[in-house]
Amino acid sequence: MDERLEKALEFSNYMVTFNNKKRLLKEKFETDLLYYVRGSQFTITKELITFVGFLVDKGNTTDVVLTDDNDYPIRISDLEDFYDEIIDRYFSAANEYLNEYEALKLNRSVESIVDYE
Amino acid sequence: MSNKGIVVFANNNDKIDYVKQCVDLAKRAKKYLNLPVSIITDCADYVKTAYDISVFDQIISINPRLDSDVRRFKDGTLAEHRSQFKNNKRACVYNLSPYDETIVTDSDVVICNDHFKYAFDSDEDFLIYDDSTDLSIYRTQEEFEYISETSVKFYWATVFFFRKTEKNKMFFELVDHIETNFSHYCKVYQLRTNYFRNDFGFSIAIHIMNGFQEGDFAHKMPGRLFHILDTDLLQSMKNEHLVFLLEKEDYLGEYTLAETKDLNVHVMNKFSLMRELDKEPIND
Repeated sequence: MDERLEKALEFSNYMVTFNNKKRLLKEKFETDLLYYVRGSQFTITKELITFVGFLVDKGNTTDVVLTDDNDYPIRISDLEDFYDEIIDRYFSAANEYLNEYEALKLNRSVESIVDYE
Repeated sequence: MSNKGIVVFANNNDKIDYVKQCVDLAKRAKKYLNLPVSIITDCADYVKTAYDISVFDQIISINPRLDSDVRRFKDGTLAEHRSQFKNNKRACVYNLSPYDETIVTDSDVVICNDHFKYAFDSDEDFLIYDDSTDLSIYRTQEEFEYISETSVKFYWATVFFFRKTEKNKMFFELVDHIETNFSHYCKVYQLRTNYFRNDFGFSIAIHIMNGFQEGDFAHKMPGRLFHILDTDLLQSMKNEHLVFLLEKEDYLGEYTLAETKDLNVHVMNKFSLMRELDKEPIND
């Protein structure tokens, strides 16, 4: 095979693996952002963080009704605790995502992208 | 206080040892969910002689089915096997489950996190996934959105949660009725197959329970479910870290490497799952 074509195909293969890994890191990040409260599931989004932060700033901290991922209402008895928890989880997940993504960018071959013995 | 647990079905055929998958699943359920696992099987004697049964809470014996279908099981893009498919009569789980609150899962789901356990905190009595994420980047999900192009919403009977309530009893009786009269429901729901699939039976039953429209009978299982098809391969499995070979688009027999960490994955290629389980002494 022509050497230039071989290199292009090798790079093509690398990019497919790279893009898939990048997508799966995002899926992992999104899964890590799921937070459960008394049977309700919340996806920790920037919108949720901003909204809850706004309510806390306005002094609405006890017995606040939020809607979960399924649009069902749930009463949150201590919104400050809820806020601290979602902030912690968000940044914990985001930092892990960043570390994994930085490591991925440094890898220049299919073998190094996937941790496989 | 009600008792809680996981129930898994294992009806072996001449090619696939579902019991072995259940043993691994039971260990993972203990590790990540701290829940007991009971096995419903048509080969209870084999379970007792071949494996360490202490991983199971209860072994529930059922009669083997004689009328099971013969189906094609793929093992990657290039290999396939034909064998009996006995993954039916799931509706009997309502009566057979020893638990008041039960998670039912396929034996080929590799549990890697604790999300399933939040189902027990839900106020809702029936939870099921209406979507699952394909690990492959290019495949479309159309066949998993509706049970056919002109029919109703698709639900995954792979993993679900139920409480023993009158409403759920009615639901499982309905699933049983649909299975028994499946050729009729194939026509009504415009399915292009005559093979009964639990996913189809559950999807149709949910549609009926909702008053023949979309509704609130079924609620979403917590967490997310991921899957590979039987044309992909599970290549390595170490605790929460799974490595896969995913079939390439338009290049038969070629694969792309991919890995997951901490994600629950439904491994539809049962042969590759078996090979991974064979690498470790199962009774350790």
